[in-house]
Amino acid sequence: MIGGRRPLKGRKPADRRVRVDRPHSPYFRYTGTGQLVAKAAASRPLTPTGRLVRRIRGIVFGRPLSTEEEIGERLSKKKAMAIFSSDAISSSAYATEEILRVLVLAGAGALLLSIQVAIAIALLLAVVSVSYRQVCRAYPNGGGAYVVARTNLAPIFGLIAAAALLIDYVMTVAVSTAAAIAQIQSVIPSAYNLRIEIAFVSISLITIANLRGLRESGNIFAVPTYLFIGLALAIVAIGAFRIVSGTAIPIPPEPDAVPLGTSTIGILLLLKAFAGGSVALTGVEAIANGVPAFKPPEARNAANTMTAMAVLLGILFIGLTVFAVQFGLRPTLAGGPSIVALAAATAFGNGSVLFVTFAVSTALILFLAANTSFNAFPRLAAILAEDGYMPRQFSFRGDRLAYSWGIALLAAVAFALLAAFGGDTHALIPLYSVGVFVCFTLSQIGMVRHWLDERSAGWRWRMVVNAAGAVLTAVVLVVVVSEKFVDGAYLVVILVPSLVLMMLFINRQYSRASRELAVAPDLVVRAPHREHRVVVPIPGMTRAVVQAINVGRSVSDDIRAVYISDDPDSAARLRADFERQVPGVPLVVVESPYRALAGPLLAYLDVLDSAWPPDREAPITFVVVPEYVARHWWERILYNQASKRVRAVLLGRPHTVVIQVPYRREDPAMFEASPDDRDRGRPSQPQPTGAPRQR
Amino acid sequence: MSEAQGPAFRRAVIALNGGPTDSRIVRLVSEQARLTKAELIAVHVLEIDWTLPLDSDVSGATDEVQRVLDSAEGIAEQSKVRLEPVLLQARDVGAAIVDEAVERDADLLVVGLPYRKRFGGEFAIGRTIPYILQNAPCAVWVVREPISEEPR
Repeated sequence: MIGGRRPLKGRKPADRRVRVDRPHSPYFRYTGTGQLVAKAAASRPLTPTGRLVRRIRGIVFGRPLSTEEEIGERLSKKKAMAIFSSDAISSSAYATEEILRVLVLAGAGALLLSIQVAIAIALLLAVVSVSYRQVCRAYPNGGGAYVVARTNLAPIFGLIAAAALLIDYVMTVAVSTAAAIAQIQSVIPSAYNLRIEIAFVSISLITIANLRGLRESGNIFAVPTYLFIGLALAIVAIGAFRIVSGTAIPIPPEPDAVPLGTSTIGILLLLKAFAGGSVALTGVEAIANGVPAFKPPEARNAANTMTAMAVLLGILFIGLTVFAVQFGLRPTLAGGPSIVALAAATAFGNGSVLFVTFAVSTALILFLAANTSFNAFPRLAAILAEDGYMPRQFSFRGDRLAYSWGIALLAAVAFALLAAFGGDTHALIPLYSVGVFVCFTLSQIGMVRHWLDERSAGWRWRMVVNAAGAVLTAVVLVVVVSEKFVDGAYLVVILVPSLVLMMLFINRQYSRASRELAVAPDLVVRAPHREHRVVVPIPGMTRAVVQAINVGRSVSDDIRAVYISDDPDSAARLRADFERQVPGVPLVVVESPYRALAGPLLAYLDVLDSAWPPDREAPITFVVVPEYVARHWWERILYNQASKRVRAVLLGRPHTVVIQVPYRREDPAMFEASPDDRDRGRPSQPQPTGAPRQR
Repeated sequence: MSEAQGPAFRRAVIALNGGPTDSRIVRLVSEQARLTKAELIAVHVLEIDWTLPLDSDVSGATDEVQRVLDSAEGIAEQSKVRLEPVLLQARDVGAAIVDEAVERDADLLVVGLPYRKRFGGEFAIGRTIPYILQNAPCAVWVVREPISEEPR
């Protein structure tokens, strides 16, 4: 790596010095003997197109971040709250409505029971959040339910939790986007016709923001999240004041309000309302999945953020439900205003600045709820990929330290789902919250086992909390599945095992490859003694062929060129030229009357193998393939098609190594004939590599 | 910048010796340079004895020589300051550092001084730093490493 030396004069004749060039310096940095770290310049594209693409990427996604900058990308509690809690907090915007939609079937009296249902859900939220606080502290590397269940129960339970969570994150993006569009409809009814387009734009924007990295997405999304929290708390406070002061007067129902039903209030109806409202709990686990994203001390900051989020969510959920009941708010038919929009209109006045601001912030936080999934899904996918249950690409971080593959997959699947369901929230909600209760239950059972094994200080009360949580969430899971099964939850019941099977399949593939590639620890690798021979398939007499033959000569003296042709005349001409111009390298012409190329070449190599003396170890055959490097990307389609086929055919052949030798036109002078050679005759017309004559 | 924060300079040459004081002086000067947007040049000199030609490939023989400069560059980058690493071969380290500072028109020269004692317990300053102090036309900072509690 050491280049030239430049002599420099000193102030005195004896003080001469030499400045030593450091050619590695722009691209690498030495960190020890034989150890280099690449700088950003080492990854800089060399072609104009590559540079243009990189510049565009830089504008859209920001400059690439080094791994060392990861710590600077960590989230403070405030930003983490905005990123990881927007899902849970935003569910207060539609959870109350889901309860009311069920209870309205049993008439006005049943709507009063929505407060009790909301309190029951809030209690469950308290248990679940306390439990996840413990998960944050016990598993500071993140992974949430997957890691807890995998470590304490069995890998298969971890995979079930992971599959359920992955599905749930996709659902979160789809449901929250649909809910945000519904919120926009509350203010602009004509937006209903553009819901798929709006969904596409919003998912694309969130995808780009997340590809820009954690910190930037935190900066972008913090304002709308806190704006929603502030205004929603204001609605709750105004409602509480009016209720206490006795000025809470029920408002007349909207013209498109869902008509009051005449069903009887039974346990099944209440359970269905409970199941509907349990969407409020979705997203609670996201913090436990993303503990490493927090600034140090990660576990403590994550646990405290979890508590703050649960308290806020509880206040908003119960507050909005009480508000809706006391002011007689009723859900409307599809396309009408949502319950939170009605609550805002009641509290702030319809059409007021605060009402419009709240409508905008609600739409934004619902869009941003998707953002929680954009952080949690790729992290979970990365952990699964590191464990060999998902393709390895999911564990690679992109230019901005974001898990780009996970982000892209989530965006694509969520948008496809949204488009398939026509952008309707209510059509999607039955699919929702099943997965989340599967992983709540599994993680709590896992934590019970964790405390039993660990028995650290306070393990008894912690275990009791987790056991109670496990029982409660298991009951809710049964209720949710049974209530929503026919409506679409069956899809989740099919999808979870399918995903688990897929992950097991991937893991088996990786395990097998790992076994096949493993080098025994006690093996000392010696230099090989195997004999070599070289075969150069040639398409004619070209500079690329000459270069390939020279490379072949440097590998072994046992070299031959093979020309496969369907035209005996051209073969004869080539033989004459070849023998004259490349002396010492035998040319084998294989006539191919059926015009095939790869088959006869493969058969010829098999024949060579058969002819090898059986008492000697089979040699390694180097097949040296000449290639012409095209000047432009669009030229590539014109060349090297035959060599690509040869490479593809030879890839799995035993004892065979394929060497591509690209001809780059960098030294054309070496191919000019000397005056002496010129007298010997005129060479035949050269044929570029991969010309269509050969098949 | 006030003198209390440190002297203002526009171009500083930092002499590196490959020892533990290197990171200390680079960090110190980088922090100052960040405030004044000053240029930094890190110089590491390999002393070539008279038995070898001055331009012999001594620096190429080991990656350690490169690591000294690369590590300084890395420390400066952490302070968001650009540092130009320069590798020199010379017969006399002090003369090469001073000549480089003169050629670069540096207004500050920074050297690290390890705390060493001669046999007999007397503090040893070596011969390079006295040479620089006597011959450098610009200001010179000498940063001595703290006295370790361990006997040296």
